[in-house]
Amino acid sequence: MADRSHIVKSYEQELGQLRSMMAQMGGIVENQVALALSAIADRNEEAADAAARQDPEVDQLEREVEGLAIRLLALRSPMAGDLREIVAALKITGDLERIGDYASSIARRSLRIRMPENQISLSGLRSMGRLVQENLRRSIDAITQQDSNRAMEVWHSDRAVDEYYTALFRELVTYMMEDARNIRACTELLFIAKNLERIGDHATNVAERVFYAVTGDNLPSLRPRGGPASGLTGAETTQEPDVR
Amino acid sequence: MPTAALAPAADTLPLQVGMVLVCVALAGWVLAVWLLLRQPRLPAFPPEDYLRPVSPTDLPVDPLPACAVVLDGLGAIVQVNEEAASQFGETVGAILRHPAARAALSAALRVPVLSSAYGAGGSTDSSSANGVPAASRADLPPVCSTTFTLDVPVPRTFHLMLRRLPGGKGQDRRVLVILNDRSEAQAADRMRMDFVAHASHELRTPLASVSGFIDALQGPAGENPAIRQQFLGVMRQQSERLKRLIDRLLYLSRVQAHEHQRPRDLVDVADLMAVVLGEVAPRFEAEGRTLRLQIEDDLVIRADEDEIVQVLLNLIENALRYGAGEAEPLTITLSARRAVIPDDRWPADGGVILGVEDDGCGMEAHHLPRLTERFYRAGAGTGHGTGLGLSIVRHILDRHGGRLRIASAPGKGTTCLVWLPPARGSLAVPTGE
Repeated sequence: MADRSHIVKSYEQELGQLRSMMAQMGGIVENQVALALSAIADRNEEAADAAARQDPEVDQLEREVEGLAIRLLALRSPMAGDLREIVAALKITGDLERIGDYASSIARRSLRIRMPENQISLSGLRSMGRLVQENLRRSIDAITQQDSNRAMEVWHSDRAVDEYYTALFRELVTYMMEDARNIRACTELLFIAKNLERIGDHATNVAERVFYAVTGDNLPSLRPRGGPASGLTGAETTQEPDVR
Repeated sequence: MPTAALAPAADTLPLQVGMVLVCVALAGWVLAVWLLLRQPRLPAFPPEDYLRPVSPTDLPVDPLPACAVVLDGLGAIVQVNEEAASQFGETVGAILRHPAARAALSAALRVPVLSSAYGAGGSTDSSSANGVPAASRADLPPVCSTTFTLDVPVPRTFHLMLRRLPGGKGQDRRVLVILNDRSEAQAADRMRMDFVAHASHELRTPLASVSGFIDALQGPAGENPAIRQQFLGVMRQQSERLKRLIDRLLYLSRVQAHEHQRPRDLVDVADLMAVVLGEVAPRFEAEGRTLRLQIEDDLVIRADEDEIVQVLLNLIENALRYGAGEAEPLTITLSARRAVIPDDRWPADGGVILGVEDDGCGMEAHHLPRLTERFYRAGAGTGHGTGLGLSIVRHILDRHGGRLRIASAPGKGTTCLVWLPPARGSLAVPTGE
């Protein structure tokens, strides 16, 4: 990083603090998503509470990052790469905060689900969760390492998340048609799947902003889309997780 | 008289003061010019004080027989030793930003460092040495430790130990982190849980069928020799399927058990392909089955040879089994090449891509994301497979830090691409483990 150093030490320190706060926020949000998934998959109520408890901390960090970014913009008039990084940080915190919200919503929902007698298979949801976690991890790595290639990788694998959502939708609707007593639990699971898909979208947004901050270019606004429409050209999937 | 003697001096006082001032200004000017001339020979400003808060090469972490990372006061990674890089690779960032790790970091930074604690030189040798350090141990900052689990890319449990390090100006807020992998106990637990799930889920089906036929044979159906032969045939099939399932499950558990240890051997891809060819050649003797090879020279990967052979065998097996019916022609292309760098589907550090491609019937897009799930089978009529082949592939690749991509469309065949990270020479530590 020697080539990117600044003469004014405190400016460098403030940028470092901004990066540190972003990494901290990313770590908390990742943990929240992990806890929320454990809350559904392992029926872990403690994890559900812990996920919801971290919300205020994320909100607080979002405000702090915003404050610091605005201060840097106002006092230091950053240029070029720094300017892009700071502006991107402003937007990324918003995305991370939303991811945290979705995670705690999943956690709260998991407490309400009463599983019917005949077991609904959660393996699809678990796998989708792991895929989303993997994408989230990569996009936060992209923030902390300012790595545009990692960002591209996330951007490309969002399609697999969308395909997973479509597959899960199909599966859950089948459960509902089989037995009306499943409808309540399946509807909750459907919302959870949708929330996971939204988390994946926000992770992709983060990746797009990192790509912009590092390269100065925008990724095409048309994202690679999954779902039934893409089957014509031969869909592709990345390695997606397995039940553990 | 003293007053008379002072009077003339008082008259010339402004002049004297003026001369002194001129002298000072002159001296100052000369000094400034001298400094200006001298400056190029001086190191401008010590760079570590102004430009870089921490100089990156000042701690000898590489020889440490442990996974060591040095963090600055803000939690940014300053140094990662080779051991840590090879064991934890790209997950180091995710480990160190986990809230528990952050909490331990701030706890470690709260204790002040007494410079006496590390001896006069402020070197870390004393704390890492075997014997008693120069200062009494009581002076050393305490070790803060924490344990937590991460789910991705493979579920692992980490134990972190953090201790604050001394340093000069601008370097006094550094923390040494030692990373330990505590996944093994957890892996054993998971295997036990998995076994219960599988026993209830998949193993019972063939068993139920076998015991159903036994009941039938004990009844009147057992009297008829033709029916008896037919039933025994089905029972044989089912028990073979059961055996295959158990073999596969055991293999999968073995792969999962050491999933968190990255392979260390260097393997030549050409040798690997020779083994694969030897195994699959008999399957291509049938009419209409063709195997083509496209292999670049001098490809080396860091891998467990048996496991990567298993990956390719499973992919070829799937292509043979699901690609085409008995009588239809099928061409399978086995390829190995270097990853082209500006290819954004793979991580951007080179690596090797192994491919298994067939021109068979392909499959619908909605199957693709779920293929590597355990016991997932595309289509209802494909009852012969165990549904574990691609799951094994996935776990092996997780261990290697690799990626799998499957592309397929009905009528257009299926392409499976395996990306493996580049084998870096600097990490070539042949160990006898």
